Order: sequence, then C-alpha cells, then structure tokens
Amino acid sequence: MTGNRVWLCHRCQREMVPQKTDFGYLGHSFYADILACPECGLVLIPEELAKGRIAEVEMQLEDK
Amino acid sequence: MKQTSGLEADCRQSEPAFCTVACPFHLDVRDFVSKLRRGGFNAAYRTYLNAVGFPGIVSALCPEPCREVCPRQNSGGAVALRLLERAALEYASNLEPNCYNVPRKPWRVAIVGAGISGLACALRLAGKGCDVTVFERTAHLGGHLNDLLPPEVLLSEISRQFMHVKYELRLRETIERLDDLACDAVYVATGARGSRFGLAADPGGAFASERAGVFLGGSLMGADSMGAIADGLQASAAIERYLKVAGMNQPAAVDRTRLRLDGTRVDPVQPVRPENGRTFTRDEAVAEAGRCLKCACDVCVRSCDLMGYFKKYPRRIAEEVEITIHPGTLDGNGTVATRLISTCLQCGLCRETCPQGIDTGALLLQSHRIMRKKGAMPWAFHDFFLRDMESASSEGGLCRPPPAGERSRYVFFPGCQLGASDPRYVTASYRFLLDHWPDTALLLSCCGAPAEWAGDEEIRDRALEKLRRDWLALGRPVAVFACPTCRKTLGRHLPEVEGIFLYELMRGQGLTPDRRFSGEIASVFDPCASRGEPDLQRTIRELAEGAGFELRPLPQEGRFARCCSWGGQVAVAHPPFARHVVKARITAGDAPYITYCANCRDIFAAAGKPARHILDVVFGGPEADRVPPTVTERRRNRALLKRQVLAEFWREEGKAEEVRMNLIVAAELRKKMDAELILETDIAAVIEHCEASGRKAFDPASGSFSGYRQIGPMTYWAEYRVGPDGGITLLNAYGHRMSIEGRSP
Repeated sequence: MTGNRVWLCHRCQREMVPQKTDFGYLGHSFYADILACPECGLVLIPEELAKGRIAEVEMQLEDK
Repeated sequence: MKQTSGLEADCRQSEPAFCTVACPFHLDVRDFVSKLRRGGFNAAYRTYLNAVGFPGIVSALCPEPCREVCPRQNSGGAVALRLLERAALEYASNLEPNCYNVPRKPWRVAIVGAGISGLACALRLAGKGCDVTVFERTAHLGGHLNDLLPPEVLLSEISRQFMHVKYELRLRETIERLDDLACDAVYVATGARGSRFGLAADPGGAFASERAGVFLGGSLMGADSMGAIADGLQASAAIERYLKVAGMNQPAAVDRTRLRLDGTRVDPVQPVRPENGRTFTRDEAVAEAGRCLKCACDVCVRSCDLMGYFKKYPRRIAEEVEITIHPGTLDGNGTVATRLISTCLQCGLCRETCPQGIDTGALLLQSHRIMRKKGAMPWAFHDFFLRDMESASSEGGLCRPPPAGERSRYVFFPGCQLGASDPRYVTASYRFLLDHWPDTALLLSCCGAPAEWAGDEEIRDRALEKLRRDWLALGRPVAVFACPTCRKTLGRHLPEVEGIFLYELMRGQGLTPDRRFSGEIASVFDPCASRGEPDLQRTIRELAEGAGFELRPLPQEGRFARCCSWGGQVAVAHPPFARHVVKARITAGDAPYITYCANCRDIFAAAGKPARHILDVVFGGPEADRVPPTVTERRRNRALLKRQVLAEFWREEGKAEEVRMNLIVAAELRKKMDAELILETDIAAVIEHCEASGRKAFDPASGSFSGYRQIGPMTYWAEYRVGPDGGITLLNAYGHRMSIEGRSP
C-alpha cells in the first residue's frame, strides 16, 4: 500500500518518516520503526506490515 | 493435576495392543509393523532383536499366541507375524548385534543352567557389564532346544548373539548348593525337571524366590520354550533391580490390556499368502504388514477435528492445558495451549466416540473459562462474535406477544443467525406459525452460545437472564426453535423453558408443499448441535423426502454429526484450522447438502458447496448456491428483519436504518473484509474519527487518506478517498490486534 509512497501528516503537513513507536499486546510492550509524523507522532502502518511482521508477533505472543 | 486426573485414569490411548500382551516377549508389534510397512527391514529387525534376544530361534519356534487375539482373525485372518519376523531376518542387511562399550559393573552373577533361559539372562546381564558365570551340568548349551532345532541353527544363533558379550561358561559342573557360589545374585534355570534347591517362588516379585538374591525361571517354573527365553530376558531386569536396590519386588510384566478397538476399523482385507508357500518376498512382507490394524485406542484423533489436526491425544491435551492454566512461572509464560483451547469446536463428538466417554471438549471449555477469568485469553479471538451477539439482541432484538393478543402458547425463537442469513426464513416461518397457532409470540435475540464458547459465563448468563425475563413476561410459552444450537444452549442453562422444533410443527401440519424437488439427490447434513435430537434428524429427512429429494447418507451423521466449523467460533483463533474443517465437511459427500442450521448452510455455500436450508426446501426458497451475506449484510439483515416483522405483523413502521456515511466499497474489497470479519460500519467509524479529528495521513500523489481507530481489542485501518460530493470511496481496510501506544521517548 505504501511502497515508496510519500505520506504527509494531514494536520501538520509534515512528511512522515520512520520513527520508534511503542506497541502493546497481551501485557507486553515493544517498539518498532514505523512511519510517523515528526511533529505530532501520528503513525501509519501499511497493510504489508499489519499482515506480515505484526501478525507474526501477535501469534508468537498468543502462543508464548 | 486437579483438572485432568479423571481423564488420565480413563484414557486408554497408551494401552498395549492385544498381540503385544499375548506375546511372551511383549514385542511392540505396532512399532515393528510400522517399520516393515515402509520397507525398513533393518529397523524392524533391531526392534525384534531387542525384544526376543535370539531372533533366529524365536522366529523358528514361536507358536504365535498373537494370532489368537488378533482382531483380524475373523476378518480375513490374523496377521502372519512369524512370517513377518522371518522376513525381517531375511531382508535385514546386518544380523549381527551391536557392540557397545559398556563399563564393567561390580556385580557377580551366577546362572545355574545353560539352557536357553539361562543363556538369555546371561546375554542381558553380561551385556550390561556384570561378571556372569553360567554353570551347566551337561556338556552342551541350549537345553531342551537341542530336541527342537538342528544344532547348526541353535548354536550359530547363540554364538552370534554372544559375539560381543563375554561371560564364563562352565560345562559339566553340577551345582549342589547355592551357598557354594561366590556371587551377588543367582538365576536358577535348571530346566523342566531341574533342581530348585529347595526354594519356592515368592509372589512378591517377578522371578523372585523366597531367598534374597536368588531368582527362578524358565522351564523349571513351567514355561514353554518361548516363555523360557522371555523369562531369562525379563529375569535379568529383576536381578539388576536387586543388585542396585536390594529389592526382590520387580513388578510382573503387564499381562492384560484395557484396550477396546473401534469395530469400524476392522475392514476385511485378505491375508497375503507367500507365493513360494514358505516365506514372504519383500513386497509380500510390506503388504502383510499393511494389514496390521496397529490396534490402539485412537478413535478420538480419527474423529475429532481438533485432535486429528494437532495430532494430540486427550492425555497430552490435558497436560498442556494444565500447564497453560497453571503456568509454573510467575510471569505466566508457558501458556502453550492457549490456541488449542480456543480452537475446540465444542461439538461434543469426542465424548460421543470415546469408548470411555472422555469429554475433552468439556475440559477445554472449562479451561477457556479459567483463562477468561484470569484475563489470559487473547480477546480478539472472540470479540467480533461477542459484539455480533450484542448487536443481535439490541438493534436486531425484539420481543413481542402474538399480534392477535397477549396470551402466548408458543414463542418463535429463530436465533440470531437465521434472519441474518435471510430475513425471509423468519418471516415465512412466523407466517406459517401464526396461520396455525395465532397465539405465537416472537422473540428475536441470541441464545448466548457465543459467550458460552468464549468461556465468558458472565456475558452468557446476562443474555440468558434477559431471555428468561422475556419468556416470563410472555407467560412461559413453549419455545419454537429453528436452531439446534439455541435449543442445546437453553436446554443446558434454562431447562425450565419447554421447547419444540419449528420443523416438527411443520411435519405435524404435513407441510411439505409438493414434490418440487422430485428426482434431485441430496445429503442431509446434521448440525453438530442436533447430536442428541434423533427426532429432529428424522423430521428433517421426512420433510426432505416429502419434497421429493432422494437422500444419500453421509459417512458421519446422526449421533456422529460433525461441526461445520462455526462451533466454538474458532475462525479468528485459528483460521487454517477452520478452513481445514470446512474442506473436510464439504468433501464428505458428493451430493448437495440440506441442513437445518443457517451457519452450516452459509459456510458451505461460501466454500462453493451447494447447500440448502431445510426452510429453502419447505418454502421453495432460493437456489442451493445462494451467495451468503457478508458479516456487514448479516447485521443489516437483522435490522431489516426487525422492521419487516414489525410492519407486517404489528403494523408498526420501524425507523429505517440511519445512513451515517455514503461509503462506496468495491465488491472485491467487500469480499476481503468479509473474510477478515471486518464490518463496514466499523470502517465507517474509523473514517468518521479521522475526518472529525483530522488525524489521518495523506498521499498527495494519489489523493488518498489513511487512518486508524482502535475498536475493542482491534485496531482498524482505512485507506479512502473523499469525492467532490463528500462521498467516500474505500480503497482498503485491514486490522491488527496490537495496540499503538505512541511515540517512543
């Protein structure tokens, strides 16, 4: 979905760039580099990431 | 193990096979035969060698007591095990025993008698590093076997098995008194009429005599030739125990099995006859090994989708569940069975098929409840279904006394999925009911099964309590069920509600309109919840036959009805398993299915299997390949149904569905969202949130927006474009379970 697309934060009009972002699931916390607005922190998770690495980690935590 | 003790005691999966128990050597025939089946003659020979000690002798003389107990004996003939054993010898590339570098032990053992029993004992103990001396009063080895086998066979086998094992042999030496032997233990195997040195057997241990350190066995104690060898081999274990811990109480070998074999496994297969009349060729041996049933109690893994898919027996499941609900670590790690617990279809087939009546499903449901109470169950597994349940009893819910008056004899309770599949199922059925029993009320709601399957007793009980209050307010009418799961759930938790099936009332009224399906072939697919409802199952068949169908039975139906994959609502917890189950169901029979559960019908139709609901048959509804509604359409259908019944039966104009957003979704995307259980209303909520807050990403190249919102345990994403007229075109939608916490510091 994102590929090499350039995404802007609609509110801040800043280009979104990879930034460390925190995630939580089943009581576990971790972070990953995700496209985010350098100003307000709005994030963007493309479908490939949601269906790929994120789904994998979800399953690992569920089966831990 | 509080949870599982009963199960562990009852499960017979690990019971030995009948032939293994009958075999003096307790040969693991299942293992031996498995190796032969794949042409593993070397491996099979090693298994055989380890069990019998002297394969060349045993395969020549064994009278095959296994044949007497082989379940194949009345079904083509017992498996020719001795011929298979000979084939293992003939086709193994190396018959020599393995040579092990075993450290010497400090124990001296005397064996009185160099018959085959004494030699078997010597072989094992010397092989383990004991200092073994065998005393024989005659001038030759082998005892009475010299009368049964040519010396070259007997002696060459003995010398082969001892080729790497050192022991001292003293021929022509008669032992008069055991006290003369300077040793730590003695095995007395002096043959059929030999001396016992005045000792009697001690029933307290295998091969034990009343004197510590002295063991008796072989023909001396009445064993036949094979028993004598087996005694020698097994006595070595009793002697080793004595040498290590000074106990004479070695347990006797298991001589019985509690195994029960599922009779359906014994399909007649003719025995393989050796073409040369004496020995099997390799191919013949493999074919004959293939006839072995490998008797084991495995009906559960063969019938239960879950146990078969995970290849786990109840005992293993119980162990994994135990460590999952009571993890040994403080941080709760090691919850290995979470997904397993969430993947049970709750269909009850395990208990129905288990000869011991073990209810693994009940164990899994109880574990599910414990995990739910602890907050340890990933709630995304069930959230969609629980929200659907809530929606069915709120915006889709309705409770009305009969249109003609307040008194209710019956209340029609179609369940939450029938109207969701097609509102006409409910409106036509209610029309039929009112035609014959105008004092029939209507109750649209959910029975609470999704909460039951999710292990959430609190939500389930709230749903049931609401139903009970409605039922009381209607004057305790008889419930008319359309869904077997509703009946099962209420039967279990609201037993005071008397019930009957819609289809039984239809049959009673002779309601099979005509033989419009004359000549068509179909199979009735019994929903799993109909397992305990033989009258219902019969009724459906009568209705279908009355409509002209020629019915073909399915391999498993009636008592052994199977789940379509909806039960337990496992589709989120384990999508590949759910697909596996659907595939297995739709390929069980070639003919189109007739079922009486809206979920079964829609799931099969979605997978491309022509399937009719029995109401399609009765009312002549749509074709068997009707495309089932999406998850979004199901909710809309419920709301539509509510408006339709209010308008038709109570002359009330309900409020039309409020269109909050003009969301354009392409058919392909709609299909994808349906498969991923994503509601268009949830995606509309995401977009509303993005538009209202301005929190959205913008791609200037394509002009599209992307944003997210967390709804319950799920985070949903929408990529969309806003048209000049304000109309919104959805470009993509997806979700994940992880929550976004924000920027890392």
